[in-house]
Order: sequence, then structure tokens, then C-alpha cells
Amino acid sequence: MNDTLPVSDNPNGAYVFRLYFAGGAPNSVRALANLYAICRKHFPESHRIELIDVLKDPMRALTDAILVTPTVVKLSPEPALQIIGNLSEEEEVLRALGLPQKESE
Amino acid sequence: MSDKKRAGFLEKISSGVEGFDDITAGGLPLRHTTLLMGGPGCGKTVFALQMLVSGAMRHHAPGIFVAFEERAHLVSANAETFGWDMRGLEKKKKLFFVDACMRSDVVKSGAFDLTGLLAALEAKAREMGAKLIVFDAIDVLLNLLDDPAAECRELYRLHEWLMRHELTGVLTTKIDDNAPATAQRYGFMPFMADCAVLLHQRVTDRVAVRSMRVLKYRGSPHVLNEVPFVIGPEGVEVGSSNGVHPEPQPFKDRVSTGIERLDEMLGGGFYRGTNALITASSGAGKSMLAGVFIEAACRRGERALFISFDENSHDIERDLATVSIPLAPHLASGLLRMEAVRTEAASSEEHFMRIKRLITEHHPRCVAIDPLSALARVGGGLAARAVAERLIYLCRNAGVTVLFTSLLEGFDQQLETTTLHVSTISDSWIQVTYALESGARNRALSIIKSRGSKHSNQQRELIFSDTGISLADPPSPAVEAASNHESAVSAGEESQ
Repeated sequence: MNDTLPVSDNPNGAYVFRLYFAGGAPNSVRALANLYAICRKHFPESHRIELIDVLKDPMRALTDAILVTPTVVKLSPEPALQIIGNLSEEEEVLRALGLPQKESE
Repeated sequence: MSDKKRAGFLEKISSGVEGFDDITAGGLPLRHTTLLMGGPGCGKTVFALQMLVSGAMRHHAPGIFVAFEERAHLVSANAETFGWDMRGLEKKKKLFFVDACMRSDVVKSGAFDLTGLLAALEAKAREMGAKLIVFDAIDVLLNLLDDPAAECRELYRLHEWLMRHELTGVLTTKIDDNAPATAQRYGFMPFMADCAVLLHQRVTDRVAVRSMRVLKYRGSPHVLNEVPFVIGPEGVEVGSSNGVHPEPQPFKDRVSTGIERLDEMLGGGFYRGTNALITASSGAGKSMLAGVFIEAACRRGERALFISFDENSHDIERDLATVSIPLAPHLASGLLRMEAVRTEAASSEEHFMRIKRLITEHHPRCVAIDPLSALARVGGGLAARAVAERLIYLCRNAGVTVLFTSLLEGFDQQLETTTLHVSTISDSWIQVTYALESGARNRALSIIKSRGSKHSNQQRELIFSDTGISLADPPSPAVEAASNHESAVSAGEESQ
């Protein structure tokens, strides 16, 4: 099932992500959890995540040129950004999104 | 073919490259994985494409090409230059290109795997009934993983996936000849594949020479040696002398050498469809003998081809005119085609391709190649010899009578010192040397061998005069020992 989870009520200026994942594959499950965590922490008010299970919609991966799973695409705001992997390295993700990384302790 | 029904018998599918099928006893292992390894520009992608096109066109095996390095549309466009109808095949759903080039600005965070791509390919393969699949530049994908354990794991995942879906897989990967580290890094790859082929491009004598070697082929015999190959206008062509067997030609019709007395010595001339080798000392008249043979063919109304290495066609024409052998009318009528080739301009393999193309285009019945020994100067002796052999087989299969000349080098005239050692496979072999007779240096012609017919064992003086080319009278049989001297004396009176 390809769901859009309405996490936020104000889509204007929201961060919109699309996650291509492969069913219950370990990396995919971890990526989903990590993406939720990042969104809740950094954009609690304004984010949306589209989920595409390539095992259920395999042709979608071909048309969208998705090579590996999991892959996250940031659709909004521009410019588009592609991140591959289970997002376990949060700092890489934050740097790519142009967000301040973990406060120094 | 009851063998094929035996359990465990390895079925094969033609690779679309005749020479490769020869050295692997039939082509690629069906429903198994083949690995093509080699440095950049060595022809991996073209070879893989050719397999795919051949499968799709001739073996009811639709295929998928996954391009990891080059953009898929560029690969497809490149393939069109070999005359393969990629767009047509794609339209008919016999071929499908997957653009799998990773964006350069992609960010990596944590582990990932190929599950998604394989799920997509699985769906596509089912939809089009694909039997073949090429993963081009798999090393690019593995580099992305950047972790030896992950690389190995994903490659096994891929291999296992191919086996499960009974697909015939071809993986290509870059290996740097000069960096053993890369070979070591991907050392597990040939282990995983059922057939592994190493492609090379080396520079020998300043000429680039391609070769390939089948490293392993599980469950199948294969040629162990390195074999030369070229990428010509129609794709990859592998030169396997091991597998090529010329069709035996019935020795029937005779073809004139252009010299009446030489025909007599040979029992009527060369047999049609065979090859003749003329070895001669420098200046002894190789090109003249080639020319007189070609001119005679044209006079009979046969199409002919004269290929000269490193000598201008006009010079040859002029030299032959001095002995009253006119080529100009035959050039004008289109019966004769002359091609002057610069030896150094290409490798022996490329020369072979060019000669092959000329023969296909012009459809000659008689061909002269002057001198064949020029080939030995480019691309190393072994490759040149293989090329010479294939030239001979090519002509024989086409029913073309071919005359090769070769320069005799060295002092011992009894030994064949042509660099190519083709005399063992030539049907007739004529030698022209110099004989010193009473203070005169005369050309002496003898027939060393002539397959399938009796031939004269005499040595005769070869005479070039402004009225033509001829042989002196035979020496009288009574004075065998002094025969050379006799013939030399009579030669003066002979010349028509």
C-alpha cells in the first residue's frame, strides 16, 4: 500500500519526503523508523511522508529510477534531494538537509 | 542430442559472437551467470550488448540491460552504430534498458541493499518474458556500497536472484590490469560466476591489440589460451583459430597463375578456392607475380582484388605495365579493385577486418595480398599469425582463390623464414630466390609444395621482359647436376 501519512496539518512550506522501501526488509524498517524520528524532532509541525513499497509497486521503482532500497527523496522544499540507506547516520542526513547538527555537549 | 536431456547437462545459448561460441563450445551457460572483466575501453559493454541483441533477435530470448555507469540512452545509441536495431527491439519489447546511473549528488546514510531494484527487474522480466539480463559496470554499484562485506553480500543476493528466476546473467566489471588491488578486491566475483572472461587491450609495437581469455567455465570445456578479438563495424569478432574449420573444397577447377609455364609446372595452375604462398627474396618480383595472377583473372572476366601493404597502387600498376601487364583497363571496367594499405595504420586484427569487408563488398573470385608478411610487423607475431590463418580460412570458405606473397628473410634459403610461418597451411608454395650463374644473378623459381596434385620439382629461371613474365626452358633431364647452369644459359634465348 502506498500511503500518504498526514502527520501535519499545514502542508504549506512543509518538508515532503518520499520513502521507497522494500516491504519488511530490515534496512527498510529501520529507514522508516529513522525518518519518522528525524521528522518529529526537526519538523514537528510541518512534514509529510509518502511511502512507496517497491515490492508492491515494482514498476514504480523503474520509472522513478530507484536503484537501491531504502531511498528517501526530499520533494519539498526545493531542491530535490536523494538519500540512500537506512538513515542510521543521522548527521549525514541533517547535513544534507542543511539543518544544524547535534548541539555540542 | 540425447546428451542435452541428461540431468545436469549444461545448456548453452549462443553469445552472438561466432568465435566466442567456438572457444566456449557453444556460448554462454544458459540460466547461469557469466562475468566479463577488463579495463576501461576493452569492449565489455559492446560484448554484453551483442549477446543481448543476438538473444533477442535470434534465440527468442528477450533481454534487459541494466546500465550502472553510462546513461541507458547513450548505450542504446552506441549500439545502433553497429547496425543493431535497438529502437525496433525495444518497441517490440524484446529489449529493455534500465537507467541505473546513480545521481552524483546522492547522499549516503547507513546501509542499503538491492531488494528494490531486483523486485522491479523481476516484475519487468516477467512482463516481457526476459531470459537474458546484463548488469553493466556492476563495480559502480559495488563501489557505492563501499564495504567489502556488503559488496559480497549484494553480489550473492544478485546471483541467487538470477538463479531463482532462471535468468541467464551477464555481469561486467572494470578491472585495472595495473592495479592488482582491484583484482583482489573483486576476487570473489569469478568464484561466484559460472563463466568468467577476462578482456584485455594492450599496446604491442605501438598498436593496440585486443584479446580475451576464458578464465573458467564450470562444467564445460573451453579454450584456455588468450585469443585475439576486434570490435569492428558489426561488433565483437573473436579470432579463434582453434574452433574455425574451413570447409573442405573439392579440388576441381584450375585457376591460371597468369604464367603459362608455371601453370604447366603445377599441373594446370592453382586449384580454385585454395591459397598459394609465394615467398621471395627482396626485389625478386613478388608483386609482379601477384599482379600477373590478378590480371589473368580479370582477362577471364572474373572479379579480382589486389591488396598491397605499403606500396602505392599506381606504383604497382606502373611496374606491371613495364612487363606488358596492363591493370588500368580492368580498374576502369570495375572488375579489379586495388587497395593500398598502410601497415602501421592499424593492428593486424583491424587489417583482417578491413580485408574481410573488401571481400564482402567486392565479391572477388581471385585475391592477391602483397605481402602478407607485412602483418607480422603490427600487433605481435602471435596475433598476426592467427590473422593470417583466418584470412586463409575466410577465403577458402568463400571459394576465393587467394595468392599471398611473403618476403624471405635471412640467409638460409632452405628454411622458410617468413615471420608468419603460414607455409604449413598454404595449399601451394612457390619460392623465388636468386641464383648466381656464370657471374649473373638470376631469379630462380621453384615449387616447394602443391597440395592435391603432382608438381614439377625443377628450379626454373623467372624472366621479366618488356613482353611479359615467363619461365625459362626446363633443364635437360640428362644433366641433372648441372641443370641450373643449363637453364641459365638457355634463359637468354628464351625470353619470347
